[in-house]
Amino acid sequence: MPDERFESLRLELLRSGVAPLYVERTILELGEHYADLEGAALAAGFGAEEAARAARAALGNERAIAAAILARPELLTFSTRWPRVAHCLHSAATLPGLPLLYCIEHRPDLARWGAAVGVATTLMGSILTVLNWLILLA
Amino acid sequence: MAQTNPPFLTGVPELLVLRMLSGREMYGYEIVKAMRLVTGEAIGFGEGVVYPVLHSLEENGALKARRKAVNGRERVYYAVTTKGKRRLEHLSDEWKRVSSGVNSALNGAHGDPEHA
Repeated sequence: MPDERFESLRLELLRSGVAPLYVERTILELGEHYADLEGAALAAGFGAEEAARAARAALGNERAIAAAILARPELLTFSTRWPRVAHCLHSAATLPGLPLLYCIEHRPDLARWGAAVGVATTLMGSILTVLNWLILLA
Repeated sequence: MAQTNPPFLTGVPELLVLRMLSGREMYGYEIVKAMRLVTGEAIGFGEGVVYPVLHSLEENGALKARRKAVNGRERVYYAVTTKGKRRLEHLSDEWKRVSSGVNSALNGAHGDPEHA
C-alpha cells in the first residue's frame, strides 16, 4: 500500500515523468526509512511529536528528494527522456490501426450506412426477382 | 593530455554507496548509518537522496535489489554486482588521483602559486 505521508511527492514524480517502478520503490523505501528514523528517535527518548519532526528533518525535504531524482535521466520514462523518438514510434505504431480507430470513432454513421446499404440491396434484390419471375411467366 | 575528472563532481555519492555495499548487502537506512559512521559525519545530506543514487546504480547494472520481508516490514536490500565492483575500483582510483592532486596543491608541493 503506498505511504500516504509521501503522496504529494509520489504525484509530483509521476507528473514529472519518473518511471512508475522507481516512484513506487522510492515511496516504499522512504516510508520504511522514515519509520526507522522515528523508531530510533523514540528509542533515544524523544516524544512522539519530536520524533516525527526529527525523522522528517533527517530524511530531508521532498523538493530536494524530487530534484535529486529528476536530475537522473535514467530514472525517467522513455517518453520523457526521448519525447520526439517516442512520438515517432507512437505514430508509426498507430498508423496501421487508423482505419479501425476511424470505424470505432464513427460507429453510429457506419451503422446507418450499413443499414441503408442492407435495405437498398434487399429492395433491389426483390425488384429483380419479381422482374425475373414476370419474364419467365410471359 | 590531461584526464578529465567528472566523477570528482558527480561520482562521490556513488563511490560511497558502492564502498558501503562492497562488504555485504544492506537496505537504505543501513547504508546511510554506515556512511555516517565511516565518514565521521563529515558529509551532511538529507537521507532521502540516497534512494536516487541506489536506483541509478541499479538501473546501470552496478547494484541488484531484492525485496525481503523482515518483522512485517518490507525492506529492499541492495548488493554490488560484478559490474559494480569494477565501477567501485574505477571511482576509487579516480578519487585517489584527484584527492592527491588537491592535497599536493594544498601542501604547496609545486611551489607557491602566487609566485608561479
